[in-house]
Amino acid sequence: MKKNHENYKELILRLAKTDFKLRYHGSVLGYVWAILKPLLLFLILNFVFSSVFNFKNMGIPYYTLDLLTGLLIFSFFAEGTSAGIASLLSKSQLVTKIYVPRWTIVIASTLNALFVFGMNLIIMIGFFAYYGKAPSIESILMFIFYIMLLYALVVAIAFLLAPLFARFRDIGMIWEVLLSVLMYAAPIIYPLTLLPVHLQKLILFNPIAFIIHFAKQGLIANHFATGGQILLISLGVGVVLGISFMIFRKNERNVAEYL
Amino acid sequence: MRYKETKKNPKAAIIIKDVSKSFIVPHEKVNTLRGVFTGLFKKNQYDILHALKNISFNIKKGEFIGIVGRNGSGKSTLLKILAGVYTAGSGSVFVDGAISPFLELGIGFNPELSGRDNVYLNAIVLGLSEKEIDEKFDEIVEFSELGRFIDQKLKNYSSGMNMRLAFSVAIHANRDILLMDEVLAVGDSNFQSKCITEFMKHRAQGRTIIFVTHDIGSVQKYCDRAILLRNGELVKMGIPEDVCNAYIQQNMEDEQVRMTMEQSHRDHKPAKIILKKSVEILKADFIDETGDTRQVFETGEIFAIRISFKINKPVSILNIGVGIHAISGGQVFGCNTQMDGYLIDLSKSEITFKLNEMPILKGDYYLNVVCFGEVEQDYYDVKPQFKNLKIYTSGHKYRYKGILDIDHSWEG
Repeated sequence: MKKNHENYKELILRLAKTDFKLRYHGSVLGYVWAILKPLLLFLILNFVFSSVFNFKNMGIPYYTLDLLTGLLIFSFFAEGTSAGIASLLSKSQLVTKIYVPRWTIVIASTLNALFVFGMNLIIMIGFFAYYGKAPSIESILMFIFYIMLLYALVVAIAFLLAPLFARFRDIGMIWEVLLSVLMYAAPIIYPLTLLPVHLQKLILFNPIAFIIHFAKQGLIANHFATGGQILLISLGVGVVLGISFMIFRKNERNVAEYL
Repeated sequence: MRYKETKKNPKAAIIIKDVSKSFIVPHEKVNTLRGVFTGLFKKNQYDILHALKNISFNIKKGEFIGIVGRNGSGKSTLLKILAGVYTAGSGSVFVDGAISPFLELGIGFNPELSGRDNVYLNAIVLGLSEKEIDEKFDEIVEFSELGRFIDQKLKNYSSGMNMRLAFSVAIHANRDILLMDEVLAVGDSNFQSKCITEFMKHRAQGRTIIFVTHDIGSVQKYCDRAILLRNGELVKMGIPEDVCNAYIQQNMEDEQVRMTMEQSHRDHKPAKIILKKSVEILKADFIDETGDTRQVFETGEIFAIRISFKINKPVSILNIGVGIHAISGGQVFGCNTQMDGYLIDLSKSEITFKLNEMPILKGDYYLNVVCFGEVEQDYYDVKPQFKNLKIYTSGHKYRYKGILDIDHSWEG
């Protein structure tokens, strides 16, 4: 049979563009809000931990950059997964009244978080410039690689949970709680080096923690994970993505009946 | 995996074989995890609804097919399986050609976006590429007659304008097979005729059109073949005349059942008017030409009304009258034996009122029966709303308005 949609890329981009327009439409500051949210959280945390707990004097000179980078990466992860999980439900018309490949809907919904993250990079660059910190070329390349890896993880989680969310609405709540757990399980507001060594190793088993830690370590301290570690996590994320896509293809068949 | 390929029939656009679909209908919709866990300890929390049972048919390329059936007969489920929204529970679905995968107009339309943005969004969802939309954009806008408003937000459009835009995008999507769920009911009559012209153009180009409707008039007018579904089963497939007649017949039978039940309900009500009851009316039935008792007839189908009565006290003169009234109000016809100068044989207990023509159009009616002596006011018995009558109209007459089908012709 002939395919109805030859051009998935255009379909995904158009859906994502619409999402973006709608999200910040009708608010005066527009997408500035998208940046302001993590920025405000950053300012509060920065005040608390720099001035009150004073991580700066505990051997972490660039705590502010550390915190900002970690927070922005995590908010990308949080927004991407939340939007991806809710995608089939929020665009239920595209599922129940028409056939478009459902995976395009999921991908399109996660893209918005990637756009916003791109915007946030401008702020990050500003802070790095202010503190006079110039990351090395290889650390920037690694940073981009880590973001791609994290995006793959976002998509994998969205594939896994979006059809389930259509059936069980409390998946959304559970994920919200899980996100705040994940945030504290990753070295974002505390530097990893503050923990006992055996705990550090344990925490790095969490791929999100691994990605966040080494992404910012590269930029700030020019310190990298070993090649073996990188290979392992890439393989791990790849396998998870593959499996979750297969599960998605199985689950999507009946998803229209639950919406 | 959605479609199985079979190359047996190159002329077929759609081959459906033994397709069944059932849904699990929970007594209470469980969409929380807690519901699932507590549900584990209860039994029989759901029913299985067989929406489609072993449906098989072929549709040739370029055919215009109408699907009719009552609510809940499985029409929309069938269309959703064709569109790929649902997967068939069993059986195989083969579709040759790009299918318009939508069942409703204006999918993805968002009131907060401009008409222009919505055209792009909707068209790309329907499978056009950005380049194709760029090329067709002016045509789409022109067809919708919304040129001036295209950059306004959709929320400022009237619902008619909304539908016009949606339809305009849909027909420019250029699919080989068009699926439409109740579309002919939108827009003003001008736009409707424009849509039908457009449908005809598509058909002339060899496209296959499948549409679901309640309007048997348009099925008879436009379709090559029609399909009748009932309770998930394919009852009939064939030329529209036959299928529509079967549909009307089916409706009549269902109506008959319903009205009989209603009637028995009414019979239990105590009579409010106390009358002399020298003569009592016992029963009135509508008798068709074959002698069967029915309550549902078609326009033009003649019938008789058989009235049974009982004489309690000897009377010298007896007159009986009947009146047919529309439930919506107004008497269609009424007369009595006195007016017609007919003398009732008092030795019998039955009288038949025969209609020689039946020009009553579709609607709900009821029958009043009275009997009286010398003057009409001197009632022996009155039976208001004694019997309900349902009239169906089929074919082109379906669209006639009013109560009477007046014999007519046009000249010029």
